[in-house]
Amino acid sequence: MSDFLPGGRKLALVGLLFVIAPLPVMGSGYFIGVLSRTLLFALFALALNIVFGHNDQLFLFMGGLGGIGAYTTALVADTVGISAWLALPVAALIAGLIGLSVSWISARRRFTVILISILTLNLQLVFSEAFIGARSLTGGSTGFPYELFTLGGIAEAVGVPTAVVTYYIILAFLMAAMVLYIWLINSKYGIAFEAIREDEMAAESIGIDVVRYKAIAGFVAGVIIAIAGTLLAREATYITPSIFTFLAVDVIALVVLIVGGIRQTYGPIVGAVLVEAIEAILGTHAANWRTAIFGALLIVLFLYFRSGVIVKAQEFFENWDISLGGGNGGTAAVETEPDG
Amino acid sequence: MVTVSTMAALVVDGLAFGASLALLGVGITLVYGLGEVLNLAIGAFAVIAAILAALLIESGLSLPIAVLGGLAFVGVFGLVVDRTLLSMVYRSDGEERILIGIFTTLGLTVLLEGVMVNYVASQYSLPLGLDPIQLGSTVVTGTSVASIVVAAVVLAVLFLFLNRTFLGKATRTVFQDERGARLVGINPRKIRTLVFVLSVLVAGLAGMLAAARSNVSVASSFEFTTFALIVSIVGGVRSLVGAVVAGLLLGLINTMANFFVGSYFATIILFGAAIVFLLFRPEVMSS
Repeated sequence: MSDFLPGGRKLALVGLLFVIAPLPVMGSGYFIGVLSRTLLFALFALALNIVFGHNDQLFLFMGGLGGIGAYTTALVADTVGISAWLALPVAALIAGLIGLSVSWISARRRFTVILISILTLNLQLVFSEAFIGARSLTGGSTGFPYELFTLGGIAEAVGVPTAVVTYYIILAFLMAAMVLYIWLINSKYGIAFEAIREDEMAAESIGIDVVRYKAIAGFVAGVIIAIAGTLLAREATYITPSIFTFLAVDVIALVVLIVGGIRQTYGPIVGAVLVEAIEAILGTHAANWRTAIFGALLIVLFLYFRSGVIVKAQEFFENWDISLGGGNGGTAAVETEPDG
Repeated sequence: MVTVSTMAALVVDGLAFGASLALLGVGITLVYGLGEVLNLAIGAFAVIAAILAALLIESGLSLPIAVLGGLAFVGVFGLVVDRTLLSMVYRSDGEERILIGIFTTLGLTVLLEGVMVNYVASQYSLPLGLDPIQLGSTVVTGTSVASIVVAAVVLAVLFLFLNRTFLGKATRTVFQDERGARLVGINPRKIRTLVFVLSVLVAGLAGMLAAARSNVSVASSFEFTTFALIVSIVGGVRSLVGAVVAGLLLGLINTMANFFVGSYFATIILFGAAIVFLLFRPEVMSS
C-alpha cells in the first residue's frame, strides 16, 4: 500500500479517528453538525490547497462553484428524474469544466495570482447574483429544502439520525479526496506542479506543459469544490444563495488552509478542526462577534503566521529538540479533536 | 415605448450613481497605483462615513457638520489603518505585497463589518431635502443633480491637487517612478499615507452620496468594495481619468439595465463587464 500511497497508514489512522469521533456525541445534532462542517471545510481547503497552494491559482469563487454543484445536482435530479447520486457526477463535471476553463485561460494568458483572484472574485459575485436572480430555477433567496441522496432511508435502516449518515458520507468523500491528493502530489503531476511553482519559465523550457498542468489542477479543484458544496447544502438540509457567498465559504476556507498550513498534506484537516473549534466556542460565548473575530484572524494569520500551525509546531518541537517520530506532525494536532 | 423625458431622467440618475462609482474607483486606483495595495476595505470606509453622518444628524446636528464629522472620523481612522496595518503590508514587496495587501484589507473589511453589525444594524440614509428639478419636460430628483455636482467638484479639486501643487506632483512622481522619486528626496511612505487618507475621504463621500439617494447598511460595504473594484479594473487600475470615465459609464449602464431588464441582471452585466475587461486587458493588473 505504501508504494501506491506514501503515508497511507497515517491517513488510515486519521480516518479512523474521524470514524470514531461522532460516537460520543451521536445524539447531539449540534455536535454532528460541527463535525460535518469541519470535514466539509477541510474538503474546500483541500481543493484550495491543490489549486492555490500547489499551483498559485487563487480561486476566490469556491462559494460560487460549490453553489453550481449543489443547484445543478438538485436540478438535474429533479428534471431528468434520476437519483441525486447520478446527478452529482454531472454537477461535479460541470464545475470541474468551469475550473478548467478559468485555469486554462489564466495560464494561456499568463495571469498572475492576483489577476486570477480578482477574476474569480468577480465570477463569484456573478454566480451569487445568478443564484438569487434565477428564481424559477433556484427559488431565489428563499431557496428550497435539500434532502437528496435518500439518506433518510439509510438512517432508518441503521437506526441513527440522518445527520450521522450525512457525516459519514462526507467523511468518505474527504478520505477519497485525501487519497487523490496524496497520490497526485507524489505522482508526476506533483513534481510538475512543484517545478512550475518554483519557476514557470524553467519548467516550460524542460518540456513541462504548464497550461495543461494548471488546467488539470483547476479541473480537480472544481470537481472537489462542487462535491463539497452539494454536501454543504445536504448537511444544512435546505439550500439558499446565502450558503454560497464569498464570506460564508471562501473566507473560511482560506483561513482554514492558512491556519493548517499551505502545501501541508494534513493542513486542511488540522486547519478545519481548529477553525471549527474556534467557531463552536465563539458560537456559544460570543456569537455576535464571530464575523469580527474571523476578520481579525485573517489579518493576523496573513501578517504573522503564513506558514501555518503544522510548520510552526514543527519548528517549536525542533527548537526544543523533541522528535515527533517523523511525518509532518499532522496527527499530533488531530488526535486532540474527538472530545471537541 | 420609453419617452424622451424618461430617458433623460434615467441618464441623470445613471450619472448620479456613476458619480459615486467614480469616486469609489478613484479611491481604489489612487492607493493601488501608488503602493500596489488593493484596498478591499474601501467599501467599509464609505459605509462608516455614511452611517456616522446619519447618526450625527439623528442626534440633532446640521447636515454640513454631520458630513464633516463623518469625513473627519474616516480620515483619522484611515490614518490609523495606514500607520499600523498597511505599514506591515509595505514591508514586503512585489507580488507578495499585493497578495498580503488583498488578504489584510479583506480581513479588515470582515472585521469592520463584524464589529459594526453589533452597533449599527439598521438602514441609514442622508436625506438632502432637495426639491425635484425641472429640466425642460424632464423632472429629475434634486439629490441626483447634487450628487453629480458634489462628485464633479471633489474630482476637480483632486485633479488640481495632483497637477498643480508641489505635494500633488510629488505624488505623481511616486506613481510613475518610485526610485526616481526617492532620489530627488521624496519619501514615498509619507506620500502613501497622505494618499491613503485622501482615498478613504473620497470613499466616505461616495458612501454619503449613496446614502443620500437610498438606504445604506453595514451589508452595503462589500457591495461598495466590489463596485469600486469593477470601476477600477474597467478604468485600467492605474488611471484616474480611466476610473472616472468607467464609473460614469458603468453607472449609466447599470441604471439603464436596472430599468429595462431588472436589477439582478444589471448587477451581472456590471460584473460581466469587469470579467471581459480582465480577460482582454489583463496587463492593467500586473505589477
